[in-house]
Amino acid sequence: MSNAAAVVRSPPARRRRASVVGGLARAGLVALVAAALVGFWELYHWVWVSTGWTWPFVVNDTSMPHVWTIYHAFGQPAQVNQPALINVLLHKTAFTAKEAAAGFGLGALIGFALAVVLAQVRLLQRGFLPYIVGSQTVPILAIAPMVVLWVNPRLPGSLQGWGAVAVIATYLTFFPVTINTLRGLQSADPRALELMRTYAASRWAVLWKLRVPASLPYLFSALRLAATASVVGAIIGELPTGLQDGLGGAIINFNQYYSIEPQELWATNVIAAALGIAFFVIVVLAEKAIVRRAPEETA
Amino acid sequence: MTLRPRIGVVVEWLPPLVVFALVVGLWEGLVRALHVQQFLLPKPSTIISVFWTQRHVLWPAGWYTFKEALGGFAIGSGAGVVAATVVGRFRTAGQALMPIFIAANAVPIIAFAPIFGAWFNPIQPQSKMAIAAVLCFLPVMVNTLRGLQSARPRQVELMRSYAASELEIWRRVRVPTALPFLFTALKVASVLSMIGAIVGEYFGGAMNALGVTINTDAQIFQFDAAWAGILVASLLGIALYSAVVVAERLVVRWSPEARVS
Repeated sequence: MSNAAAVVRSPPARRRRASVVGGLARAGLVALVAAALVGFWELYHWVWVSTGWTWPFVVNDTSMPHVWTIYHAFGQPAQVNQPALINVLLHKTAFTAKEAAAGFGLGALIGFALAVVLAQVRLLQRGFLPYIVGSQTVPILAIAPMVVLWVNPRLPGSLQGWGAVAVIATYLTFFPVTINTLRGLQSADPRALELMRTYAASRWAVLWKLRVPASLPYLFSALRLAATASVVGAIIGELPTGLQDGLGGAIINFNQYYSIEPQELWATNVIAAALGIAFFVIVVLAEKAIVRRAPEETA
Repeated sequence: MTLRPRIGVVVEWLPPLVVFALVVGLWEGLVRALHVQQFLLPKPSTIISVFWTQRHVLWPAGWYTFKEALGGFAIGSGAGVVAATVVGRFRTAGQALMPIFIAANAVPIIAFAPIFGAWFNPIQPQSKMAIAAVLCFLPVMVNTLRGLQSARPRQVELMRSYAASELEIWRRVRVPTALPFLFTALKVASVLSMIGAIVGEYFGGAMNALGVTINTDAQIFQFDAAWAGILVASLLGIALYSAVVVAERLVVRWSPEARVS
């Protein structure tokens, strides 16, 4: 018995060791890629400046500041009597991350619920699906000011300001989740469906035991898209609200001083990029934790 | 037999039309009944009337922005397909570069719109084309690469056993497998290009651009005009999306996916 257990247990142990090695290799790869990007950036800068090429755009220290200039900008205050830029940006990042996370959670829930309803009632699916697809062609930034003006006064005090931005993040999040979950719910093995039917399984049982597990991989690929979309929504949502507490406000602000101090806008954008990637990585890790466990449950 | 298709068309179109009528009716009725202030949410009838009276401003502005979006869509998608073809040809290069593209895909690229404005003159349409192109490039590139790599090994082996050249395998197996993936990405890109152009214009653009028009109208609380502009933007976005869907149905006739959405 114990022997058998050991035999069963050894492959995961080996897999874990392999995953540690794989993780190290991946970290090395990331460092290598970052170094290559920096090198490419500086090389491009040097070639274009020394040859005087102006296509597709003029390269100088304003249009493409040196990597070390951007790096130094983090340590310096953006304005006199202010903490270092990195501290300011981290506070703003936390604020934007809060908006994005709230929007992501709400959007994923709404998107999933909508997909379940649409998968159950075909008539609703026919009626609403074209508009759900169409809703994404609405340029969200254009409605953002109206959404903010409309939502903000109706929110309780603690949600004022950032709550309205989270609504915009929700709007961008729900769509990929709905579309992909719907496809996932409908991707259940027809043979398994027939088997469930011969057992006279209820609709509810078919949904939870068969359709939802089948939709999980689809759901997670949508959540990966939605993770980025929620950050985009939070940043875009801040633009028309005039909120200064988040990264979107910082982008607008530093954009006005771009001709004097371009490195500050670049520094802000580097942080915004990192935030998007962080959201993405969190979803990928969650997927690994959840979807790996799935086969054990079904077996 | 002759009646069948007609019933099918009715069944397909009736539910969306009913939903449309219900939503517009409810919107109009609620705004009237609850006396929602005009500047917050205009009635659909008001939006339509502004849409009509301002058509000489809105449509040229929409067309201007649409050209930016179209240019960005063409450049970005074209570059994405070319990059995926090159990267897909070299397996190791593809595996090494894939994490970069996935990470780049997770970056909120819209945040870089002001930098594109600084690189190219923000008044020039090139700056909006650039941001739309970058937005389109990544999904098209990643999806096409995935499509090129998802050819079944058995099919490739069968072709090899017939002594087919690599080019032949590419043309007869890899490209047909990749096409549904490509069109999925193009549908996403068509929407993104329109959003990229309009959001880019938010950070400054030509006076006669749609994004600038909507933004100015919203700032001076002329929300009926802003909504009319949004209507124009949505119609153009839907037109581009539909064009991709039609192209997909013409090109990818064999895939059941093409018939679903």
